[in-house]
Amino acid sequence: MPIADKPQPRQPDKPFHFNTSEHLLRIGRQKATTIHELLEALRACPDDSIFQHTFRTLQEHHFIGQGFSNDFAHWSLSACHEPVLAEKLASVDVHEFTAIDGLRCRMTEIVDEFLQKHPRSGSRPANEPFYFCASDIVVLPTLFVANSLFEFLEGLNSVGVHSIHHHFIEARLRLHRMSNDFSQWLEEEIGLPQTADAIERIDIYTNTMEGVRQQIARMVERVLKAGQRES
Amino acid sequence: MTSKEQHTVTSSLSAGPRDGSERTLETAAISTQPAPPAGENGGSLPASLLTPPAPPPPPHLDDYRNIIGQGQVDALRFLARELKGKTIKMVNSTAVGGGVAEMLNRLVPLISELEVPAHWEVITGGNDFFEVTKAFHNALHGTTYELTKAAQEIFLMYNEQNRERLEFNEDMVVIHDPQPLALVRSRDKSSSNWVWRCHIDLSNPDAHVWEFLRPFVEQYDAAIFSSQSFARQLPIPQYLFYPCIDPLSEKNKELEESQIQKVCDELGIDRSRPIVTQVSRFDRLKDPVGVVQAFKLARKYVDCQLVLAGGGAKDDPEGAVVLQEVKEAAGNDPDITILDLPPWCALEINAIQRASTLVVQKSIREGFGLTVTEALWKGKPTIAGAVGGIPNQIIHKLTGVLVHSVEGCAFQIRYLLTHPEFARSIGASGREHVKENFLISTNVRRWLLLFRILQEAQAKR
Repeated sequence: MPIADKPQPRQPDKPFHFNTSEHLLRIGRQKATTIHELLEALRACPDDSIFQHTFRTLQEHHFIGQGFSNDFAHWSLSACHEPVLAEKLASVDVHEFTAIDGLRCRMTEIVDEFLQKHPRSGSRPANEPFYFCASDIVVLPTLFVANSLFEFLEGLNSVGVHSIHHHFIEARLRLHRMSNDFSQWLEEEIGLPQTADAIERIDIYTNTMEGVRQQIARMVERVLKAGQRES
Repeated sequence: MTSKEQHTVTSSLSAGPRDGSERTLETAAISTQPAPPAGENGGSLPASLLTPPAPPPPPHLDDYRNIIGQGQVDALRFLARELKGKTIKMVNSTAVGGGVAEMLNRLVPLISELEVPAHWEVITGGNDFFEVTKAFHNALHGTTYELTKAAQEIFLMYNEQNRERLEFNEDMVVIHDPQPLALVRSRDKSSSNWVWRCHIDLSNPDAHVWEFLRPFVEQYDAAIFSSQSFARQLPIPQYLFYPCIDPLSEKNKELEESQIQKVCDELGIDRSRPIVTQVSRFDRLKDPVGVVQAFKLARKYVDCQLVLAGGGAKDDPEGAVVLQEVKEAAGNDPDITILDLPPWCALEINAIQRASTLVVQKSIREGFGLTVTEALWKGKPTIAGAVGGIPNQIIHKLTGVLVHSVEGCAFQIRYLLTHPEFARSIGASGREHVKENFLISTNVRRWLLLFRILQEAQAKR
């Protein structure tokens, strides 16, 4: 039986509206030419700069499956040749933060600790400056609205990867909770807490955004094939 | 009409750049190999390449669907919906020749197709005006310049003449580069948003020229630069628009295997062995001699051949000198092919890039490096100097490899030729990087986003 005809777990009260967000890169005022200056700028820059160089850069580089984490880590390695600092910064997972404040604190802590251990590295000039940027964001609808789990799967497979990023990665800053729009809807509207949890655990640093989409789609397909609710 | 006749007619209709320097028919393919089969020209370029081909019709938005996906085309339409009925004017200083005119030729129809009518106006001026603005251009790039009162008056007088001639009734006015910068004096007459799109590097400008121009820049609602490092400290928002390529242009469109083979046959390029290619003008800043040296070092370990495809040697005395230096560095090496191609050989460049195993752009200084963008778009593993805008495109070992020396370049040629899986992987990521960030469709999106953001900001005021 085609999965579209299988009994579905539950009809949602609220549809899932697939949206997407488009970003325009704005050049900021801060610039760092040393790791000391990076630390100062990390403390002083606006929230949207921290967002740009962590959350947003993942969208710009969504096609890289591994090896790219955030712009601060990338600059520490490529321009400052500080692999230890780069590794520590790269280990920061945006998934663990529901507000920019926490993310900024974690980044500054790492750089601060590094400079305490390696004070001479702080004033060594980088090969090229780090320019702080930010994004102006416009949220847009897409053509896809899901009134059932099957339609959710169709929408998921059809929207652009920016929409996946919007719902899966940026969402936690909107929701202020350790979740994403997909998991929240699947749990609250379809009654799939285990699938919601499994989706939340997908590793965005070892997947492309297309890979994230495919993993979510496979999980939803399994539920549709089984046609069962989760306890 | 035969295709030859079509070419001839097109040539007479196509205007060259202002200085008329771009068109030359005395172009030769130079090879250290035995002369390739090249018909009646015997060692020169095939006759079909000696005149410019007819320009193809500009593509429509839906033509990009198979490249960027329906979702991205839909996003452009959704973005434009809020701007429906709003109008845009783009103003620059030349209708033909140069990257800005080329870009506007493609951009304006695409934005208009989204029901946001866009118009393009070109300012007029005498030779004295363009001499002054050329000097300003060089000074903004860092050349020392003595800014005289007379130069300032010429600049202001022609801007004033154009201000009287042009109307600015559109909702958004975009001024490209410094030549028409002072048109912003017209902004008081309208409620339009005014944007300055600066295509040049302002990171180290001549202080006098910049201080003369800065008060005009500050009257705009926003400025746009091609790199973070080109921006200045200004009281207006500054945005980053990367230069872009058109995936449907002659230089970048998909080609049939038979077309690639035909070009290689005509130019005497052997496809049975790995091909390492650099496409660039014969200019020392592109370090073609360094590429020859790197190739010779690498070939001690791996079998390969080098193609240096460029142009400009006939138009530019320095280019001819550099070409001679390259020929001397190449010697009689049968594995090195040097091609000095005329500027209309976009399709041939496309074919050469697609036939290549690796692409090199070993620049010592660079603006953005659109030849790198072109190579990445074709999925080619690319080795490039870590200068200018290249690191924005090449993330080391992820979307290509960055090098800093002849020896580094030689090592990466060896490595990529002997690790084809890794080479394929960075080539594929490089293409995706271009798809996401450096295609004309992305710049259409950026323009629409900017206009929406400015309109919303204006509504809040």
